[in-house]
Amino acid sequence: MKEELDSQLSAMFDDELPSAECELLARRLARDEQLKARWGRYAVMGAVIRAERGVRLNAPLAGRVSAVLLAEPALVSRSSAPLRVAGMRWWQPLAATGLAASVAAVSVLWLRSQSPLAGSAPLSSQLASAPRALPVAAVVPAAINSGGGSSLNYVLSRGGSTAPLMVPSTELANYVVAHSTFSSPVARRNLLSAFMTSEGGTLGAEEAPQDAQSSAK
Amino acid sequence: MSADASDLSLVRRVQRGDKGAFDALVLKYQHKLVKLVMRYVRNPAEAEDIAQEAFIKAYRALPQFRGDSAFYTWLYRIAINTAKNAVVSRDRSPIDYDLDRNSSDESYDMQGRMKDSETPEGLVLTDEIRSTVNAAIDALPEDLRTAIVLRELEGLSYEEIAAAMDCPVGTVRSRIFRAREAIDRRLREVFEGGLGRAEELG
Repeated sequence: MKEELDSQLSAMFDDELPSAECELLARRLARDEQLKARWGRYAVMGAVIRAERGVRLNAPLAGRVSAVLLAEPALVSRSSAPLRVAGMRWWQPLAATGLAASVAAVSVLWLRSQSPLAGSAPLSSQLASAPRALPVAAVVPAAINSGGGSSLNYVLSRGGSTAPLMVPSTELANYVVAHSTFSSPVARRNLLSAFMTSEGGTLGAEEAPQDAQSSAK
Repeated sequence: MSADASDLSLVRRVQRGDKGAFDALVLKYQHKLVKLVMRYVRNPAEAEDIAQEAFIKAYRALPQFRGDSAFYTWLYRIAINTAKNAVVSRDRSPIDYDLDRNSSDESYDMQGRMKDSETPEGLVLTDEIRSTVNAAIDALPEDLRTAIVLRELEGLSYEEIAAAMDCPVGTVRSRIFRAREAIDRRLREVFEGGLGRAEELG
């Protein structure tokens, strides 16, 4: 058994051992100090046969290298981490773009379905008949100003009357849908922000008067 | 079986974090590397320092080694570049080897190391190893001696040796192994008699 192992070591030293056996023996060689010492002596024999003059055959070089490497981190973390990071990076922009496009498309389609041009009932009547959570920015100013006479002016001053607000929003939605394939995510996001802001203004305009009226009562 | 398979198996182990496998690579190539570096620098101690630096550079660069070329080819390239850089660096800042004791500590250390590498003791130990191996080879049966010399001196593969000696490849493998065993029995005595640094490695 020992002789077979040493025979394998000799063949491995000459690169004449099958790969599968090399894998197994390499594992043992890395741990077995006696085997490693024998391996080192095989190298010394070769150096003598090749008459490598000027080379110290008892050189402590291997020990020095080993001592320096003791302070080095193992390679496993350094080699695998960058590969994982690199592997993650390539699809992240694609995923972000896809997600942004999906959100944009869904938002626009939903908003179009809610618009007066697309549905049976006007948006104002739908909102009035279906109580729901409203954007804070749209409601709070109206509530704060509900006791004063200038509450409507405060809300409506951002966009004017209700009718003019709906038309640009629809146009904007159509524009976004038409150009969603070609526009960049950032541009789409900016347009949608503008779109949602104007819609928020509209909602405030639709809701605020009723709140103001009820609180006035 | 593929050429360089044994080196690759060791390299893969190192890449997975097994430093012990790198010891085996250093042990295998240290003499060849020092001999290579001595084409650029004449001083053995300086050659060993450069070889050491090359090994450490190789270790740090191993994550980038994919095995497209043989490991020793890649290692030799690193060693040659390291040696060339060392020569250029030395030429830019020449050291006065005829320094006196009042020179800087660094220069004095270098002189000390140079002297240490050329001590009679170091040369005697190397000569003893050399004479032991040569005597063991002379004592080998003809077929074993031919097989090991063809392998180590001529660098022939087992298949080529089998063709040259007109015998099966398995016989070549056995002959080379038995030759090494016979030499190793004598060599081990020398190393265990005070030169057993390889045993202490790790």
